[in-house]
Amino acid sequence: MVKIVRSTIIDAPTDQVWEVLRDFNGHDSWHPAVAESAIERGNSSDKVGCVRRFTLQDGSELREQLLTMSDLEQCFSYCLLDTPVPLFNYVAHVRLIPVTDGNRTFWSWECTFTTRKGEDAEMEKLVSEQIYDAGFEAVRAHMERAA
Amino acid sequence: MARVFVSTVIGATPDKVWARLRDFNGLPTWHPAIRESQIENGEPADKVGCIRDFYLQNGDRIREQLLGLSDYDMFCTYSILESPMPLENYVSTFRLTPITDGERTFMEWSAEFDCAPEEEAGLVEGIGTNVFQGGFDSLKRHFGG
Repeated sequence: MVKIVRSTIIDAPTDQVWEVLRDFNGHDSWHPAVAESAIERGNSSDKVGCVRRFTLQDGSELREQLLTMSDLEQCFSYCLLDTPVPLFNYVAHVRLIPVTDGNRTFWSWECTFTTRKGEDAEMEKLVSEQIYDAGFEAVRAHMERAA
Repeated sequence: MARVFVSTVIGATPDKVWARLRDFNGLPTWHPAIRESQIENGEPADKVGCIRDFYLQNGDRIREQLLGLSDYDMFCTYSILESPMPLENYVSTFRLTPITDGERTFMEWSAEFDCAPEEEAGLVEGIGTNVFQGGFDSLKRHFGG
């Protein structure tokens, strides 16, 4: 079992960051790895249990299911259903907490997963750097463009 | 039930900040509002259940009991046993979390308590600003922020 915890500070109030992140179908508008996103069966993207289908920049597809969504706690969690890379039992949690000192946002993104023998380090690097760290930077840039 | 929540960013890794904060008898070493502190009955300051008896710079005396301490999750929970403040059932927790993209710490400090409705705003402001944010400012001066 691999566990990844990444976190950052975004220089905006949690309400503004949450507005961007809570759209489970909106990650194609800010994450550089995602080319297209659609919710299956015409479900609303804040319906817990909905499935999003991503087309990545390289043309491969993955499907993820929304497990939790809380506007009160400003958090959501999701799991991978189908993926082009060997990530199994993947469950991720995203959580925002206010930094009252400066009205900023603490953003935590963590997950656990299993993979094929010998591929732990490679998958850990892929998820933590290309998905999470790249996502932090992309949202930071997205918020600055919107401001 | 009244609630206080404040949080900040401190410019050092959580293990360094924790080394300064985990001593339940160490308030005078890092919090500018606290003058002196001792643990009752000669108990160690990391014995869960121990009681600290301390004085503020203004002479007020407060006794607090350690309810929880975790070196793994880096949090500390305590209650007030005696204080000059008009409140009851006060339980407070501070917690340190790593900010992984740089050597920084996210610190949260929260409290819940009961009080008369007309006292609530003043107590929330006093605890959040003078006690908690005052501690944050001191830590940020020490470590950067």
